[in-house]
Amino acid sequence: MAEVVLRCEGLRKAYGTVVAIDDLGIEITEGETYGLLGPNGAGKTTAISMIVGILARDAGSVTIDGQPHDVHRTATKRLIGYVPQELALYPDLTGRENLHFFGRLHGLSGRELRRRGDEVLDVVGLSDRAGQRVRTYSGGMSRRLHIGVGLLNRPRLLVLDEPTVGVDPQSRNAILDNVRQLAGQGMAVLYTTHYMEEAERLCDRVGIIDSGRLRAEGTRRDLVTMLDREDEVELLADGDLAAAAQALAELAEVSAVDVREAGLRLLVAEAGPNLPQILATTGRAGVTVRSVQVREPNLESVFLHLTGKALRD
Amino acid sequence: MTSPQFRIRPRRIRTVFAIAGVQLRLLFRQRLSVFWVIVAPLLFVFVLGLQFGGGQPPRLAVVNEGNGLVAQRLVDALDADDRLTVIELVGADQLRTDVQRGRADAGLVIPAELDAVVSSGGQATVEYLARPSNPTAADLGVWVRAVISQQATLVRAAQVATGENAGTFRQNLDRTGTVEVPGVTVVADTVGTTPFPDGINPYALMAPSMLLLYVFLTSLTAALRVIETRRRGITRRMYATPTTAGTIVAGEALGRFGIALTQGLIVMAGSALLFGVDWGSPPAAAALLVLFCLVASGVAMLVGAVLRNEGPALGICLGLGLGLGAAGGAMVPLELLGGPARTVASFTPHAWAYQGFTELVRHGGGITDIAPQLGVLAGFAVVLFTLGTRWLRRGIVR
Repeated sequence: MAEVVLRCEGLRKAYGTVVAIDDLGIEITEGETYGLLGPNGAGKTTAISMIVGILARDAGSVTIDGQPHDVHRTATKRLIGYVPQELALYPDLTGRENLHFFGRLHGLSGRELRRRGDEVLDVVGLSDRAGQRVRTYSGGMSRRLHIGVGLLNRPRLLVLDEPTVGVDPQSRNAILDNVRQLAGQGMAVLYTTHYMEEAERLCDRVGIIDSGRLRAEGTRRDLVTMLDREDEVELLADGDLAAAAQALAELAEVSAVDVREAGLRLLVAEAGPNLPQILATTGRAGVTVRSVQVREPNLESVFLHLTGKALRD
Repeated sequence: MTSPQFRIRPRRIRTVFAIAGVQLRLLFRQRLSVFWVIVAPLLFVFVLGLQFGGGQPPRLAVVNEGNGLVAQRLVDALDADDRLTVIELVGADQLRTDVQRGRADAGLVIPAELDAVVSSGGQATVEYLARPSNPTAADLGVWVRAVISQQATLVRAAQVATGENAGTFRQNLDRTGTVEVPGVTVVADTVGTTPFPDGINPYALMAPSMLLLYVFLTSLTAALRVIETRRRGITRRMYATPTTAGTIVAGEALGRFGIALTQGLIVMAGSALLFGVDWGSPPAAAALLVLFCLVASGVAMLVGAVLRNEGPALGICLGLGLGLGAAGGAMVPLELLGGPARTVASFTPHAWAYQGFTELVRHGGGITDIAPQLGVLAGFAVVLFTLGTRWLRRGIVR
């Protein structure tokens, strides 16, 4: 069983009468990517700041690899790689100088520092631009270097706060691929985003946060199941559609069938595994299916269901 | 939760130096900074040194309106003095313009009626013009008065002889030229110490002022880096590494101090090597420089910790740097400031450092001679550095 790398319980932070985070609890195991999904102002950055140890919490506890962690614990900070939302780099230093600077803060020096710097440059694909000032980098390159800084200390827990904000689609894909590879190497990843697609694509589990509270968490399927809403399957088909509809309605997984002008529309408990049976049934009814479209409820729908507002509000 | 005590450990020291080192590296990363930190202060020392007489005798513009014998003898006598250069002009207006624009350090207008008045036994007045802010003019005035007194003695002798019916005034005046008449020696006694001692290297007059002005200006503009580092989230990122808030503050403080010290050493070493400025007793000059750099870096830390945006901060930094410099004698010599201005100056660290450097550079003082100045600067440094570091730490530990 995978070890728990991050465990936080009952986290709370208030600014005067405004409660920014209330009773937040998260657990992430090694190799797992956990997405904290919420709109701007939901409390993601506050939560992350307490988890990485740059913001004192009012209540609750955080452990990293089983060790208690807070703003003063340098031993546990060694286990964390932090990639903040803003580009926290010196623009007038080169990429390599930036890495070496933060590497020194992590206690690296000499040959070890140079070797680790080169390794990270290689991982983020910036070896050929390492000697140039960050000021000359494109937005995507800067973001990649920014992530690289978070990898210098070979962290057990990598915390990325909205790392793809303001990044072009190509660099965004590169960043997501990078994160997936890192998780594959056994790192626990905590990833905040307000992009539903990123959370769906990248994260093993997702926590939905709004107004400082964790509203729900689980795998994408778990969360969607909470909606108690079925998948919608639309078949573009020719032939005896009425006969096919009658045959499909007899399947246990299909709860409703509509005959449309150019095909059929079905509501299915879980479309994926049942699709072969559906297609076989329509074939036996003498109907030729020209295209299939499956619409599953997504995290956007879950968020709307849980909070009553859209994710980008 | 309580903050653990800051303990000195080798890794922490390395981290402090890493943070400070980045600040120094960034200072010289921009070409414009290289100009402002290295070239500009030394250029100002050179230009102002020239203005205060750097390497050339002071220039006296003379307008001889009458061109009579007495007037011409006075001009010739001035011209014969090695300590000054006489520039003869044709009109008083031109002379005023030249003095105002600094083309001449002072001017002398010899009236047209001079010969007529003195030959009839009367007294005439010559007009001496100078800018009050030009210390060279004060010296020049003394020398001009000495030459005039010498010539006046000869004129008086000729007047007496003429009164005794021993010939015409012109004949008697000519005769005084062949007789050995002892000249009038003007002895200038100064109560206390003279502000501008004879023979001082003119570049040494301005080098301390430029040191004070630029150490403060460079420190304050470097304070913008503190703001930028915070605004970009670099400070928070540092704090997310195994680096304590105390280490970050110590690194930033050392960086600010390093920048101030670098600027001070550039002016000191540059002016010594290029213009032969003697900064006096090395331990005293070092103590003064270190304390003033601590004051400047303390202010820089405070400004960097309190202000949030570089734009408004730049205006405030320049205003503070130039304002305190002007008030404290780093732009106009403290000796030329009036009573109220001197009182205001005493509230600035610049004025105390200026007095200290004046004692060392102009009067060859030692560390004990500048003990009061060192004490006041230490007080400034403790207060400002403490405020700056505390404020910065408060911004990190939230």
